[in-house]
Amino acid sequence: MSFTEREILETIRMVALETLDIRTTTLGINLMDCADPDLESTAEKVFAKIVHHAAELTSVADSIAADYGVPIVNKRIAVTPISWIAAASGATDLVPLARALDLAAEEVGVDFIGGFSAYVHKGFTRADEAVFLSIPAALAETQRVCASVSVASTRAGINMDAVARFSGVILDAAERTADEGGIACAKLVCFCNAVEDNPFVAGAHLGVGEGETVLNVGVSGPGVVRSALERLGPDADLVAVAETVKRTAFKITRMGELVGREAARRLGTTFGIVDVSLAPTPAVGDSISDILEVIGVERTGAPGTIAALALLTDAVKKGGAMASSAVGGLSGAFIPVSEDQGMIDAVRDGALSLATLTGMTSVCSVGLDMVAVPGDTPPSVLTGIIADEMAIGMVNQKTTAVRIIPVPGKGPGETVEWGGLLGTAIVQDPGQFGADVLHARAGRIPAPLQGYRN
Amino acid sequence: MPKRFLTAEDVRRAGAGPLEVAPETLVTPHAKQTAEELGVRLVTGGGDWVPSAPDRGPDAEGGRATLPHLPEPEGDDEAGSLIVTAVGRNRPGVLAEVTGVIGEAGASIADVSQRMIEGFFHMVLVVNLHPGCDFATLKQQLDCLGGTDDYAVNVMHERAFRFMHRV
Repeated sequence: MSFTEREILETIRMVALETLDIRTTTLGINLMDCADPDLESTAEKVFAKIVHHAAELTSVADSIAADYGVPIVNKRIAVTPISWIAAASGATDLVPLARALDLAAEEVGVDFIGGFSAYVHKGFTRADEAVFLSIPAALAETQRVCASVSVASTRAGINMDAVARFSGVILDAAERTADEGGIACAKLVCFCNAVEDNPFVAGAHLGVGEGETVLNVGVSGPGVVRSALERLGPDADLVAVAETVKRTAFKITRMGELVGREAARRLGTTFGIVDVSLAPTPAVGDSISDILEVIGVERTGAPGTIAALALLTDAVKKGGAMASSAVGGLSGAFIPVSEDQGMIDAVRDGALSLATLTGMTSVCSVGLDMVAVPGDTPPSVLTGIIADEMAIGMVNQKTTAVRIIPVPGKGPGETVEWGGLLGTAIVQDPGQFGADVLHARAGRIPAPLQGYRN
Repeated sequence: MPKRFLTAEDVRRAGAGPLEVAPETLVTPHAKQTAEELGVRLVTGGGDWVPSAPDRGPDAEGGRATLPHLPEPEGDDEAGSLIVTAVGRNRPGVLAEVTGVIGEAGASIADVSQRMIEGFFHMVLVVNLHPGCDFATLKQQLDCLGGTDDYAVNVMHERAFRFMHRV
């Protein structure tokens, strides 16, 4: 037999019992050729092109899931940042483009489409301004559209004008969806060092260096890693822990590689990258927090959490890099608070504070993700939280993001239910002190020395 | 380079009479509707325009050739095999049921292993698919075998195991 029985049973156990799945197959579609002086024609082209290219995405993903016995949970679309497409029209209200994206996503049967985006880490164009102005209405009026903005990079520094404006955009979007717990903000994220091939929403978009269409895959598998570490037991040393994570990540990544290659072949497009991210879901056992606790912290948020997360993120990357020559996207460990039952519990029990969470983002693959704060949080406080997170990314030459939801009408400690994959959040306390002067100062935080690499 | 898109506005501007459309031009649904309403016929060469397959760009053409072959050696002929596992209560005829379905589908069994662990049988079969033998149909038939309180069958393509366990 070409495989041992142990290998065969291990794979089947991963899928059947440990919730191994492919979290997303995301088709990137370049929309540059849709630019038109007339916004209505732009929207018409955008809709037509997405439907034309993605018509078979869900059926192909389903057929691969059936053939290989590995569930493919989400099928998604990432498009060129919409500010570049809208610029030719000179329009200031871009909600019609958001509607076109939403309708196209609905037509082809995907639940989210990313790319209502702008790159403003160094400055604004008129079209970027239009995107900022349009985001709150666009997200409130559509179901599937996700927006992202790049406000900082190691090379450019932090555009604090953009950060301050973005705080206002967040609050406006939350207010427009007040009766749904500010859910529009769950589809809204800002980045430092934005990733151009990220397959995961809300930050998915197709960067300017990408080809016409590309198929990217995001894997998952926190449950598999946790089970492997549980079998290893508490007496193994940390090198053994890292080794176990690495080996498990290798196997998970290879499933992603297989699905990515096969999906690209069946769609007749290019295979882009595998995003080797451990992405939790609200389902019990599918949790990053559980892994940290198995590694050895009593509760996520306790002292030692950042060290455990650093070990986990690094080992995942090493295993993934060995498994695939096309590792990309965010790749690491996600810590979306509301989507991880272990983290929800840790916040509820007072173990995980916003400060520790921010510290964790310096070693995880993304940033402050799905964090709920009170609806009356002042814009200056949001600016401070975002600027801190962007600074961590800028100085450490890594991607960081902020997806924060001011929940209208809720205060610290209260619970908000978004349902589905977005989960449940406990509103966290951003503290009583603000950053009014920092918020009011215009300009950029200059790029750090780390950015001068030539 | 031919026009990338034909929009409703393009159709309206062209006015009456047949409108020549390059085969690779993407006609938007709105343009099609407008052409019907205005009685404009969309033509390519002499005949009616027909939608073309999506143009996936220049990278897609050579995309597959540039992928590293590992862990699939070039010219490997095992791509058409699958791994069938069954776990459950032991009773007479289980092996016959599973292998019977495989035989009827026209596939052959390359390897069998069966063990009893604490009263439950664990069976692993490596099955080679022959030309004309459809994976999806066979999988569906095998998945239907057994049941609650009996045994469960799992069918996966061999490539899944190869990708996961071979460097």
